[in-house]
Amino acid sequence: MLTGASKGLGIEIAKSIVENGWNVIAINRSESEELKGLQNKYKEQVRIIQFNLENTSLIKETIFKKELGFKFPIHGLINNAAFAYDDIVTNINLEHLQKMYHVNVFSPFVLTKYVIRNMLMHKIKGSIIHLSSVSVHTGYKGLSMYASTKGALEAFSKNTGREWGQRGIRSNCLVAGFMETGMSSTLDESQKNRIYNRTSMKEPTSKKSVADTIKFLLSDGACSITGQNIFVDSGTI
Amino acid sequence: MDKLLDIINEILETKGEEKIASLTDEMSLRDHIGLDSLDLAELTAVIEAEFGIDVFESGIVNTIGEVVTKLELTQ
Ligand SMILES: NC(=O)c1ccc[n+]([C@@H]2O[C@H](COP(=O)([O-])OP(=O)(O)OC[C@H]3O[C@@H](n4cnc5c(N)ncnc54)[C@H](OP(=O)(O)O)[C@@H]3O)[C@@H](O)[C@H]2O)c1
Repeated sequence: MLTGASKGLGIEIAKSIVENGWNVIAINRSESEELKGLQNKYKEQVRIIQFNLENTSLIKETIFKKELGFKFPIHGLINNAAFAYDDIVTNINLEHLQKMYHVNVFSPFVLTKYVIRNMLMHKIKGSIIHLSSVSVHTGYKGLSMYASTKGALEAFSKNTGREWGQRGIRSNCLVAGFMETGMSSTLDESQKNRIYNRTSMKEPTSKKSVADTIKFLLSDGACSITGQNIFVDSGTI
Repeated sequence: MDKLLDIINEILETKGEEKIASLTDEMSLRDHIGLDSLDLAELTAVIEAEFGIDVFESGIVNTIGEVVTKLELTQ
């Protein structure tokens, strides 16, 4: 189960998953051309559920009951959908902040709840991955609110890993550096260069590198990795 | 009740513990049957898939009798 598969990093993760022979349930508001294209190419493997993750309280009813049914086995969850409400702290708008917390934090928590229940029922040693950001670890002006949503996911993931480890269910965060996607498109060249200069490699983080690391974290090869933050960030300094 | 017994026995079996022969209303899920919080989460998930009811959603449930009441009440 992958949220935010319609564009940006999400479509890259979806490709990586289906090319590996696995199935993907893509949860997003829109059906992009790219995602539809992927579905046409890998018919049996791609299922798209249109859902707005601002509606946290409808997750159980819509996704798990109506769309999938509880008997549908889920092996992995990738909480990738998010949006960045960026502004300086003195400008906080509570409504925008709450909306961001629904999409970036509360919905990932609730999805995790039902995915773990599903894994327990099907006796699946599953893998949960949350997308975090280097902004949690390296401060940037204007990102305090956004970074706080990712910090919440990191804490949630570490404790989820601890809680469910005995059942073989793993939880990790993929801490991504700045990538060229819609999310970073509002930055101008000089802002981008300043960010890239704060990395060892002096370049944006490759979406493919992030997607391939996620594929690895989903796989049996990562069966002893849990409760970790895995940094894929061009060596952010 | 039979279905519930099967579900509980399956959980006990995967834990490597002995199955139980029958259920009574007074049996405590934790003290008599020996289920911990993670087992109860599994029990909830399986019961919900089977009966369509989340028995633990509205407060703590301790005994078999309480589970049965929740399932019958809404049936
Ligand atoms: N870009 C970066 O530099 C960067 C850096 C570090 C971490 N990250 C993290 O990486 C992840 C992917 O980001 P991205 O850069 O690929 O962003 P993006 O290009 O803006 O894509 C965001 C995805 O999330 C979905 N989404 C947004 N709001 C949603 C909602 N309310 N309900 C359902 N789906 C929603 C979007 O689909 P729809 O619009 O179709 O709903 C889209 O597929 C995010 O968690 C982000 O925080 C990004």
